[in-house]
Amino acid sequence: MTPRPAGGAMPVRQRRHLACRMWLAGVLSAAALTSGLANAEEFSFDASEFDKKPFEFSGYIEPKLEGLRLRSDSAAFALAYPDAAPRDSLWRGTITLELAGKANLADWVLDARAQGSQANDALVTRTDNLRLMEGGVRYSAGPSLTLDAGKRVQRWGKGYALTTVGFVEIPKDPGDPTASREGFVMASGEFTRSLEGPVSAVSFTGLMLPTDGTTNAVFGKSTDLNPAAKLYLLAWDTDIDLMGRAAGARPAAFGLDFSRNIGSNLELHGEWARQRNVTRSTVSTTGVVSSSTRDTTSWLLGLRYLTSSEVTWIADWIHNGLGYSDSELGDYYRFLNLALAPGAPAEWVGKAVSLARSGYLRANPGLDYVYLKASVSEPLGWVYGAASVTWMANAQDRSWQLTPELSYTGFNGWDLRGRLSWLQGAQWSEFGEKATARKLELTARYSF
Amino acid sequence: MFAFKKMAVLALLIPGLAFSAVDGVALLKKLDRNLEPESYESYRKLINIEPNGNKKEFVLYSVKKGKDKTASLFLQPASDKGRTTLRQGDNMWMYLPSVGKPLRITSLQSVTGGVFNNADIMRLDYAEEYDVASVDESDKLYTLQLKAKTGEVAYDKLTMTVDKKLILPIEIQAYASSGMLLKTLHFKDIKDFGGGIKRPATIETDSPLYKDYKSVMLYSGLKKREVADEVFTQSFMSRMEELRK
Repeated sequence: MTPRPAGGAMPVRQRRHLACRMWLAGVLSAAALTSGLANAEEFSFDASEFDKKPFEFSGYIEPKLEGLRLRSDSAAFALAYPDAAPRDSLWRGTITLELAGKANLADWVLDARAQGSQANDALVTRTDNLRLMEGGVRYSAGPSLTLDAGKRVQRWGKGYALTTVGFVEIPKDPGDPTASREGFVMASGEFTRSLEGPVSAVSFTGLMLPTDGTTNAVFGKSTDLNPAAKLYLLAWDTDIDLMGRAAGARPAAFGLDFSRNIGSNLELHGEWARQRNVTRSTVSTTGVVSSSTRDTTSWLLGLRYLTSSEVTWIADWIHNGLGYSDSELGDYYRFLNLALAPGAPAEWVGKAVSLARSGYLRANPGLDYVYLKASVSEPLGWVYGAASVTWMANAQDRSWQLTPELSYTGFNGWDLRGRLSWLQGAQWSEFGEKATARKLELTARYSF
Repeated sequence: MFAFKKMAVLALLIPGLAFSAVDGVALLKKLDRNLEPESYESYRKLINIEPNGNKKEFVLYSVKKGKDKTASLFLQPASDKGRTTLRQGDNMWMYLPSVGKPLRITSLQSVTGGVFNNADIMRLDYAEEYDVASVDESDKLYTLQLKAKTGEVAYDKLTMTVDKKLILPIEIQAYASSGMLLKTLHFKDIKDFGGGIKRPATIETDSPLYKDYKSVMLYSGLKKREVADEVFTQSFMSRMEELRK
C-alpha cells in the first residue's frame, strides 16, 4: 500500500484506490467465510428439510464498482452530464438490493419482486427507491391452465442479446441480457396440451396490457386494452412460436420464432417480425425533422455451437427494421453536436433530447447488428469459473463493442463477475459516439 | 467313453452357453426398474468436493414420467433457486429465473459445474439410451458393455458392473467415443425407500478430467408418482414448484 502522507488527509486518488481494495477484500473475505462455514457440515440429506413452505423470501444484494474512461468531448457526454466539466475518467459505486416474496396458497400463488439501488460517482448521485419490478396473483387449475394478473415480464423470442418479437416487454439490455427488467401490468391466461405424434406440445398464451395514460405509460399513453397472443408448438423436435399484438397504444405486429438442435452440439434459432404503420422520425444535419409511417420487417438468425474443446459460440445476425441506417445515425450525431455547441439555438437541445427519446439513443438504434459470444465453463480446470468474450457490432457503420468477462460461482451464494468493455468506432458512428470509451465492472452478488 | 467325452465337452461349454443365454436387454430393463419406478419423484443432493476440502451443494427436486420425460427444479443454493431443467427425449431445456424463458441446451453442458453434467441430472432409463453390446458373467457380478443408441447421448460407451443377486449397479465407467474415460460412478449405501424401492442412496463420482475432485449424489424421498404430461412442457418450467407438496 502506498504510504499515507504524514499529518494530512489522504489524497483523493489514494482514497479511491484504498476504497477499491477494501471493497474487494471485504467481498472476498465474506465469500471465503460463508464457504468455510459450509465446510463444517457433514454429508447428510433428508428431503423433509426442503418441504415446501407456505411463505418464501429470497433476494440478493449486489455491490458493483465501475471504472469508466469517458469521451468528454462527445455530444453524448454533454447530453448525459449537461452541467459537468469535461473529464476523462470516473469511478462509480452502485449497490443494488432485490427482495422477493411468495405465498403458496394451494392453487393460488401471490408473489412480488422489488428492486432498489443507489449509485454514486463524482458527477451524479442516483437513488432508485425500492420499486415493484414484478408481482401479482396466479391461479393454476392444474398443469394445463393458469390465469395470472399483475405486473409481469413477458420474454418472447429466441435471440440472446436482442429480440425482434418482444412485442409486450421492455427491451433487454444487450450489454447485460440477463439483468432484471421491470414488467408491465397485464392479465394473462395460458393453456397447454401435450400430444402424441410429431407435434408433442401446444401452448396458447393470451394477454391484455391496458394503457390509460398512467398505467403502463412506458408502453403507451392512449386508452387501449392492447391484446396480444402467442402460440407455442413443439413440432418435429423444433420449438416454434407464433405471436401477435393488436393495434392499440402501439402499432399492430405479428411474427414467429424457432429453435432447433441440429446435433448434440449445434442449435439454430431465428425470428421474423412485421410491424404495421410504424411512425418513424429522422433528422437532417441542420435539424430538419421528417416523419413517415410505414410497415417494417425485422429478423434474426443465429446459432449456438459447442466445440470439442467445450467452447460455446453464439452468433446472431439481427436486422432491426425500426432502426436507423449509418447515414441517418451519422446525421443525428452531427445535428446533436451542432445543437450542443456554444451559441446554438436553445430549442435545438430540446429537439435533440426529444429525438433521442424517440429512438436515436436507445441501446441499439442501428439497422443491422452482428452479435458474437464465445464462452467456456471451467477454463483451464478452473472449477466454477467461466470466461467469455462478446463482440457486438453495428454492421453498417462498422463500430463495435468488445467485452471480455470472467465470473466465478465457487463460493456458496456468491456470483463474482469482472468484465471490461471496449467501445470503438469512427466519428459519427454508433459505438464511436457513446459517452464511454472503456468500462471496467466488478460485481459481487450475494443471493439469500 | 465316447458319450463321456461328449458330456465333458458339453460341460466345458455350459458357462459359455450360460453367458450367451443372458438377455442383456432384459437385464438392463430390470436394473432400470430396480433403480427407480418408471414414473417417480425424488430429491437429490449433489455435493462437489474440491481438492482442498471445500464443498458446494445443490439440492434438486425431480420428476420423471415414462421412458423419455424428466424435469428437475433446483432448491439450493439460493443463487440457483428456481432454475429448472426439462428433458423430452433428446430435447433439453434450461429455465433460469434471471433469463425468464427456457433455453435449449445440450447433454454435455454442465448446469452445476464440477463433475456432474446435464445427462447425469436429467438421466433417462439406461435401456432407453443404450444398446447392450455384451454381457460377461462371474460368480457374483455381471459386466455389461453398453453402446449409446445415438450421438445425442452424453457418454458413448458404458462399462457397467452389476450385482448379480440384487440386479443393481455397483460401478459404471463412462467413456467418450474416443475411448477416453470421462468418469466413474460408484453406487453405495443400499437403502429401502419404501414402496418396494430398495436401491443405492449414494452415488460417488470421480473423473480423470477433474483430478482430486469428487462429487456425491445423495437420494431422498424417492417414490412412485404419476403427474400430467403437461408438467413436461416448456410452459410449466417456471411453475414446477407447484408439484411439490
